[in-house]
Amino acid sequence: MKKYALFLGCTVPIRAQHYELSARNTAKELDIEFAEMSGASCCGFPMKAVDAGTALLIAARNISIASKMNLNIITLCNSCTAMLSDAQLELKKNSFYKKFKELGFSYPHEIAVKHFVRMLYEDIGIEKIKASVKKPLTSLKVAAHYGCHYMRPSYLYGFDNPEIPHTFDELINATGAQSIDYHDKKMCCGGSVLGIDENLAITMANHKLNIAKDSQADALVSICPFCTVMYEDNQRKAEAKFETQYGLPVLYYPQLMGLSFGFDNNAVGIRFNRVRPNALLEKIGGQS
Amino acid sequence: MINLKNADPDFKWEIIKKEGGEGLLKCFGCSDCAASCPVRYFDDRYNPRKIIRLTLLGIKDQVLSSPFLWLCAHCHACTERCPQGIIVAEVINAIKNYAVEQGYCPEGYKVQLDLLRKMGRLYEVEDFDLKKRQKLGLPPIDKTIPEVKKILEYTNIATRVHSKNAHVNPKSEALNSKQIKITKTQNSKQESSPDQKMEKK
Ligand code: SF4
Ligand code: SF4
Repeated sequence: MKKYALFLGCTVPIRAQHYELSARNTAKELDIEFAEMSGASCCGFPMKAVDAGTALLIAARNISIASKMNLNIITLCNSCTAMLSDAQLELKKNSFYKKFKELGFSYPHEIAVKHFVRMLYEDIGIEKIKASVKKPLTSLKVAAHYGCHYMRPSYLYGFDNPEIPHTFDELINATGAQSIDYHDKKMCCGGSVLGIDENLAITMANHKLNIAKDSQADALVSICPFCTVMYEDNQRKAEAKFETQYGLPVLYYPQLMGLSFGFDNNAVGIRFNRVRPNALLEKIGGQS
Repeated sequence: MINLKNADPDFKWEIIKKEGGEGLLKCFGCSDCAASCPVRYFDDRYNPRKIIRLTLLGIKDQVLSSPFLWLCAHCHACTERCPQGIIVAEVINAIKNYAVEQGYCPEGYKVQLDLLRKMGRLYEVEDFDLKKRQKLGLPPIDKTIPEVKKILEYTNIATRVHSKNAHVNPKSEALNSKQIKITKTQNSKQESSPDQKMEKK
């Protein structure tokens, strides 16, 4: 049994419960225990463009909660991962640590921050996941979307290959589904500019929707709630703007993994997927 | 046209002083950041190299008031490829931070700041959400986290953002980007995307 502190952030527990639900349920199957981080707030990332110092203090306070529990943090959002990892590095600097102390926070145990998917890859391993697959999804071809802050910036993570990432593809393949090779896999979803210039953000999201559809993917697989907002919630807008029809389901990785573990739709929260994955479910022989 | 007459030679030092701005002086203008930038790929009004160059030259007003500064998605594609090892995304972020101090803060961020001060999170947790979570078997979450307000007061960020000399909202008309290339609906395999450019190198 491996035990971690689960950091939810702002978006996941309110807007992406199916991500949280499927992550928790698949984790249980893999003998992972999550402790709740009582008092955890926003990760701080939304304030970074305004004032990095403030964002880092908000992030460091969250780290402090898990540090007192002496548990490594698991995140579900790419931006939370980057923000918390950044603060973890910052805590080693005297000037920052002084401010952190002045605010009454403490960092008794040095802890690590990892994205859920990285934890699966490094701490659980492909073999264990394969061993839990009861219903290999061999009929599916899906497009992996890593998102920017899963492996970049590499100076924060030192994980995977920042130019040709492969860990997430391997995890998808472990479910029996085929992670397709497609053009511009590392393209940014545009989420960060949605509040500044929607037109540009939608254009960026459309780029990958178009390529994924063209590559005949059954779904796009995401590991970040922001990216899903761009590809799923805003898919209609992209369709309207570019006068096309995608109807491309966007699944969170633990949903895909859960289906391969033989979980039913409820256990992975399929009804919360805004683009209905009915065709995909039929393909794998489940109820749609 | 760049007018060097009004250049402020101290501007670059102001940025270097800021969190993340440290590497600025090492830029030798190679443009690898611009070549790998996904935002620039779609909208060439945005160019990280140009922002850095203008900052080094001290063209302060133009950099700070430009709405395009805010188009950086902080994706770090540039950081990975800068041959000078500059953390380019952080340098751009430091310039944004400085712009905020000088009274240029996009409205959206002000709204987010207020939400964080009020609740410590971006979305309000309503009873409905808590019930929904309970039904799904998910644990309860805190409605508000007041300690975030304490941090915001400590760094005095609200005063800076809402300062009286605040300039016009950078999310101006200029950002209603009609010019964005929309050629990308066709399968763009022939086009040189940021990914491909570097693969070829
Ligand atoms: S890649 Fe680095 S050195 Fe080259 S222009 Fe951009 S910031 Fe300057
Ligand atoms: S971090 Fe900003 S400047 Fe750098 S590649 Fe991404 S969008 Fe472009």
